[in-house]
Amino acid sequence: MTASSLAEFTRRFSRHGGAVLGAAILFAITMLAVFGPLLYPESPWRMVQKPFLPPMMTDGFLFGTDTLGRNIAAGLVHGARVSLLIGLASTAAALVVGVTTGAVAGFFGGRVDDVLMRFTELFQTIPNFALAIVLVAILQPSTDSIVLAIAIVSWPPIARLVRSEFLSLRSREFVQASIVQGQSSFQIIFTQILPNALPPVIVMASLMVATAVLLESSLSFMGLGDPNTMSWGYMIGAGRTVIRQAWWISFFPGIAILLTVLSINLVGEGLNDALNPRLSRRTR
Amino acid sequence: MHRLHFLGIRLIKAVLVLFAIVVLNFFLIRAAPGDPAMVLAGEAGAADEIFIAQLRERFGLDRPVHEQLFFYVRQVASLDLGFSYRQQAPVLTLILERLPATLLLTLAAFLISMALGVLLGVLSARRVGTWADSLITLVALIFYATPLFWLALMAIILFSVQLEWLPAFGMRSISQDLTGLAYVADVASHLVLPALTLGLFFMAVYARLTRASMLEVAGMDFVKTARAKGLSPGRVTRDHVLRNALLPVVTLAGIQAGHLVGGAVLTETVFAWPGIGRLMFEALLQRDYNLLLGVFVVASAMVLLFNIITDLAYTFIDPRIEAG
Amino acid sequence: MRPTTSLLLGAVLAVYFAIMPLRVSAEPRSGGVINVVVQPEPPGLMLGLTQNGPTQMVAGNIYESLLRYDENLSPIQNLATSWDVSADGRVYTFTLKEDVRWHDGEAFTAHDVVFTVDTFLRETHPRLRVSLEHVERVEALGDHRVRFTLKQPFGPFLGIFEVGTMPMVPRHIYEGTEFRSNPANDTPIGTGPFKFKEWVKGSHIHLVRNDDYHVDGLPYLDEIYWHVIPDSSARAIAYETGKVDVLPGGSIETFDVERLRDLPNTKVTKKGWEYFAPHAFLWINNRTSPLSDPRFRRAIMYAMDRGFARDVVWNGFGTVAAGPVSSKTKFHSTDVRHYPYDPDKAKALLGEMGYDGRPIRLLPLPYGEAWQRWAEAVRQNLNEVGIQVELQATDVAGWNQRLNEWDFDLAFTYLYQFGDPALGVARTYVSSNIAKGSPWNNVAGYANSKVDELFARAAIAFPEENRQALYDELQQTVVEEVPVAWLLELEFPTIYRSNINDLVTTAIGLNDGFVDAWIED
Repeated sequence: MTASSLAEFTRRFSRHGGAVLGAAILFAITMLAVFGPLLYPESPWRMVQKPFLPPMMTDGFLFGTDTLGRNIAAGLVHGARVSLLIGLASTAAALVVGVTTGAVAGFFGGRVDDVLMRFTELFQTIPNFALAIVLVAILQPSTDSIVLAIAIVSWPPIARLVRSEFLSLRSREFVQASIVQGQSSFQIIFTQILPNALPPVIVMASLMVATAVLLESSLSFMGLGDPNTMSWGYMIGAGRTVIRQAWWISFFPGIAILLTVLSINLVGEGLNDALNPRLSRRTR
Repeated sequence: MHRLHFLGIRLIKAVLVLFAIVVLNFFLIRAAPGDPAMVLAGEAGAADEIFIAQLRERFGLDRPVHEQLFFYVRQVASLDLGFSYRQQAPVLTLILERLPATLLLTLAAFLISMALGVLLGVLSARRVGTWADSLITLVALIFYATPLFWLALMAIILFSVQLEWLPAFGMRSISQDLTGLAYVADVASHLVLPALTLGLFFMAVYARLTRASMLEVAGMDFVKTARAKGLSPGRVTRDHVLRNALLPVVTLAGIQAGHLVGGAVLTETVFAWPGIGRLMFEALLQRDYNLLLGVFVVASAMVLLFNIITDLAYTFIDPRIEAG
Repeated sequence: MRPTTSLLLGAVLAVYFAIMPLRVSAEPRSGGVINVVVQPEPPGLMLGLTQNGPTQMVAGNIYESLLRYDENLSPIQNLATSWDVSADGRVYTFTLKEDVRWHDGEAFTAHDVVFTVDTFLRETHPRLRVSLEHVERVEALGDHRVRFTLKQPFGPFLGIFEVGTMPMVPRHIYEGTEFRSNPANDTPIGTGPFKFKEWVKGSHIHLVRNDDYHVDGLPYLDEIYWHVIPDSSARAIAYETGKVDVLPGGSIETFDVERLRDLPNTKVTKKGWEYFAPHAFLWINNRTSPLSDPRFRRAIMYAMDRGFARDVVWNGFGTVAAGPVSSKTKFHSTDVRHYPYDPDKAKALLGEMGYDGRPIRLLPLPYGEAWQRWAEAVRQNLNEVGIQVELQATDVAGWNQRLNEWDFDLAFTYLYQFGDPALGVARTYVSSNIAKGSPWNNVAGYANSKVDELFARAAIAFPEENRQALYDELQQTVVEEVPVAWLLELEFPTIYRSNINDLVTTAIGLNDGFVDAWIED
């Protein structure tokens, strides 16, 4: 990306008020995830006070304590790291599968395309949350199995998008020229087509991180979270049985998820406007 | 003729996809730790080798896996989904008992999300750039970012427990024998919260898409022509803009069908809605292989059917395809 | 209902129930419908085939056995009106009640009893099968007398006539059929106070009064609805909003108990679990280091704050367990080593044995939030004395699999004691029960020939006084070695409306059905 196009990108992005707000929130959450554990160096699992302390009633316990007397603020901070990491890791995994499948299908076309698209369709037909549940239950809940399950249910849209981008880019002159010059398919895919197909993929990937955070929390809620990592979904799941007497235990992690997902979506929209001027013109 | 041909091909493809799903899931579920005999023995509060061996033999789990697969596929091909180990009843019967509840829930949620989403999208597009547009956008984004189960919990606390307006769980009031209109009203009151929480999430998706699509179509030449011809703005919006703007919305509806059924698992759990989403989760935990596979087959069939319907709807809405 | 109205109503009810004691002696009244929660949905209602918790609870209204037990576990009559035991403790003769009819009108006779015990349950009921090993033969003496002849005296014998252990099944329906696939399983026929009416899967089970019940005037209730509500919060809300009247023990999370107990018009009882005496402990895999070292196992006992678990996780319900035998079970002894919460002692023990800090795995019981929290608390307790613990998430099937295959380090569980150490305790500790394939075996792999011998002698010692001395010695030995880490004697409070009377009257509580229950107006 050249300097001028970077400036153009920034200009477009910041024209979108929501996107700037989203970026700010997301930045704050990321900072919390990175440096937060310095604020709360102790394990968020430690039972440090009386259970069921309401928020803002006791010094040092801004968000109160949970059913076992653990500090919810510490849980939120440590959870930010877990939720974001799971979101990023599963999106990265989904990208690998989705981009590869879509690129191969779109580039080679024909029977390869047919087989791969049938395969993709298969995964789109099974209700995705149901499949994720089954996968985590089979592999038994752990951070790895959750990331894997989310990746497996989220890659098909990427594959479809990449494929359609490839289909349209493939017939373009610069690609045809490379083919004539005898470049290898591998080279063409990675040096010619993929960089040009990237902008919409980046936008979709950013939205996928948001979806992954939601999926992780839903899995945790169904009792399929990793009990060794404090994630927001886990906190909601753990707090929901006491939601009547201690609303704050599941309320704050819920808000945290909402803010995170909202900010990622806003950023995604901003990226969309900035990276896909052709598409964004539709919306204004 | 064209449509029939199209339908035929889609159906054949659907059957193939279903077959692949059966095989895939058949192996997936058997990879899980434990088996139904173990779970049943566990629930019985006592077990010995004789007991577990009896169960395995009865379920046919003592056979080699490829034999089990062959047997299962042959069975499904004759539209028999087998027998549930735990519920001790035919899988098809169990699913059919629960299916109407899920259909009711997902259809209601779909209609809510579609109607509200398109309505808000149109409103938003017609007032583009105003505070109303921003407000609608914000609301849509917030619902899109809210965990479904969390919203459901909050709704129960607010509307069922605090305000006592609506029932918190179930599909009908059980110990009252209601008939006719009273029965319908009873079910409807139970439906409101689950359908709304499930629907609002998807509403956001449709609202965003409708808005974007409306704005795009409004800028197209044929709309300008229609306006130039002096057609009333309302008529232009209705006949030209909306009709064309709905195309991507319908496509998305097809794609979202799977998500809707998936979301039903969460909704049915929180609201104790007696549908197949819950049945699936229970079957999974109980390693009730046949039942779980059966639910997958039926749920996937629902998604495929829905896809076909949306594709057909597409051909009716899209003026360009009409000619074919 | 607006808040002010409900407040007013609450006040009125409070006054009303303040003067309640004056009316307690009111005569039982017939009629009424009761709504109860059942969780999870039972796999079937044929109690002879399925004995899981929910099946027992619903089917206890449909089926009966020869005896019931009061809260001290003394037998009381039901289908048997009297029984006598021979002087050598080997022959038990029961006299059956006359004019008892199955729900389909057929007469219940001694031949049904013989068929049930000798043919049906011997095939289908693994837990009873173990006890039946002691039985030489079962005979009908005419239509109304049954004689059991044992191979040798068997102390707990009179304790196995509980409905979940020995439900009477109709011979005229099952004899000569394939029991598990008999279509009659869908419409269970028993002799109990209520008859099966309808089961809408995923929603509810409907039972109606048995008008021909063998006790005149009983039952009082007309109908029972059992509601299937899969989510525990939804179950609590169902009670609060008046949709159900009874929450059986264990059907809501402990954290909700306190809140519901404080509602107006609500009673809570801990009774009705004396026969089962659910005993929670950690399985310890005795086979592997460092768990094979008794000092490590003792360190675990000292490291755990079991009082905290009771007060916080179980909301004050339960008793810290002293050893293998519950205080509710016969032959309980308090003369054993005590393990108070003492992290320093735990650390000292770990230091003494030279524990290398190797991490261990902990398998929670996948039965809901309280168990999850408990596992988290124990993990934290162990962490704080220097034992690294990793929780292993699993579901019921995975939990069973790991225990069956001995693939665990520490694992939560709780077992029923069935009133007698020979029925519900010995199985956990005797070396003859070390076998893969069942979570009710001696999963820990604990083997001590002295313990084996004491259990064997105590089971067949006769009369009862001779058993106590043996069990005392046994408890002392076992508690010293900590083959498993005892946690709590669990209590599962039953929550119900104040106007329901005589709901829990026996040692198995709701599992004996709603035969005596009545609703005051």
